[in-house]
Amino acid sequence: MAKGMFIDTSVCIGCKSCQVACKEWNVLEGEPTHFRQLPGAPYPIAVNFTGNSYDNTAALSATDWRHVFFIEEFSQDRSVARWFFSSDSCKHCNDAGCLNSCPTGAIIRTDMGNVFVQDDVCIGCKSCVPSCPFGVIALSPKTGTVHKCTLCNDRIHNGLGTACAKACPTGSILFGDVPELKAIADARLAKLKALGETKANIYGYDEAGGLNVFYLFLDRPMVYGQPEHPVVPQQRLPLSTAATVLGAAAIGVAALISFRERGSKKSEEEKK
Amino acid sequence: MNPFTHVANWPWYYVGLYFYISSVSAGAYIIGSMAELYGGERQREIGRVAFSLALPLILAAPVLLIADLGRPERFWHLFFYSKDGIPYINLQSPMSVGAWGLTAYGGFALLSFLNIMAINGRLTFAPFAKLYNRLPRKTYAVIGMLTGLFVAGYPGVLLNVTAWPLWEATSPLLGSLFIASGASTGAAAIILVMARQKRVAGETYSHLEKVDRVSMIIELLIIGAVIVVAGQYAAPIMSGFYGVMFWGGTVFLGILFPLGLYWYAGRPGVDRNRLVMLTAVLVLFGGALLRISLMQAG
Repeated sequence: MAKGMFIDTSVCIGCKSCQVACKEWNVLEGEPTHFRQLPGAPYPIAVNFTGNSYDNTAALSATDWRHVFFIEEFSQDRSVARWFFSSDSCKHCNDAGCLNSCPTGAIIRTDMGNVFVQDDVCIGCKSCVPSCPFGVIALSPKTGTVHKCTLCNDRIHNGLGTACAKACPTGSILFGDVPELKAIADARLAKLKALGETKANIYGYDEAGGLNVFYLFLDRPMVYGQPEHPVVPQQRLPLSTAATVLGAAAIGVAALISFRERGSKKSEEEKK
Repeated sequence: MNPFTHVANWPWYYVGLYFYISSVSAGAYIIGSMAELYGGERQREIGRVAFSLALPLILAAPVLLIADLGRPERFWHLFFYSKDGIPYINLQSPMSVGAWGLTAYGGFALLSFLNIMAINGRLTFAPFAKLYNRLPRKTYAVIGMLTGLFVAGYPGVLLNVTAWPLWEATSPLLGSLFIASGASTGAAAIILVMARQKRVAGETYSHLEKVDRVSMIIELLIIGAVIVVAGQYAAPIMSGFYGVMFWGGTVFLGILFPLGLYWYAGRPGVDRNRLVMLTAVLVLFGGALLRISLMQAG
């Protein structure tokens, strides 16, 4: 039975307990600070932190496996305000771009449906990095290998839920069997719609072949920092391969013709 | 298509350069095999130059690729699953298939190189030379050519099969583009060597020039198609630094200008040798910038 998580962003309060719990359980270091001299600033700026938001890390990385995305939409006079939070992580896709692209078999799917990077197999080729439509997996310069959320592989194989779900004080992160979570999600969506949240939607039932970690959003996915129409990149493999074979044939024929015209060239040269 | 993907951060001086060097090698090999298979006796010359170029160039490939890895000492995991030592291939991963394809191509490049050595009389170790003569040269020229086409084209598929917006949007054309560029730069590399040896005269040269010209025209057509297909996602190569690199470096200096120079050099009374060398250098330069701009932009 596939395990997964349901992230109900409508009850998230942005406390970042999940980020802390994730860091603690998985023994993840603090995000290394990258300083850069920016125009106009007299001192180097830490470019990988926002510095102007309660959302500090801004993205998932090799050391941040969970990231509470802050949506801070305020008008100049603060008369119109929206403040949303969405706790983001690896989605453990049913058809995972990173896993598909891995040339060494380092990325595997376990019996519980989670996508797991075997650190001792990974060679740091980085092909999984752009293959994730959500920008989850990342290379650690320190280990030379890629890292991402494991769905707490060690915990779930020992009867526990994920650390983030355990730490969540509002029930925004629920861990469990995917079908059961879907039932909870559907009920919650119906309730919110009845309360007038017309834009509410579930993200992850069909996106990119279905996600084992799915979300309830109150607005379009783009608002929550998720792609509207994510596609598993390997879906383009057959067409891309076919077009390349055609291209190869075209160049082959062109080269062939260039070499075959001996007769005519010769007679031209003789005429001169 | 989405703006949330992480870029792979393959540095141009490793992976971009590898894409380029391997495609020059493969392009030269393809043209050499064509000359060998379909050209007459007089075009053996082309094969000789091509095959003596193909192997040294492709030997740089593993160095560049392994240098790019986060854990270089584990490069063998590409070929054997490290947990059980059984040979490993992932058909959905262009990098996995590419590693095997590149190895196969390297083998054929070696065979053809040794063949040229034997013909030139430099391979004198008797048992080896004897064994060597028994290998069916034409057969492996055909298979070698197919592996060469693979090596030239698979990087394009690899880029197309990611979620990075520019590479995603240019699907499914990058493979064909890289093959066209590979054939063109491969021909230019052969021409450059022959021009240095002052052998750009007569039929042999005109065939090579024609291959180069035709490939460059096909390349131009594919570039046009790429821009159309990519639409708004082509923005990173339409302006700015990489726009200049792509349009100024690759398209103008690397394709249009060389096409003009070839035409000019073909006119009677022109000192062809130096002009042809310049043209070939420009074509090779443009091919490098094509890979670098497409890899780095975005």
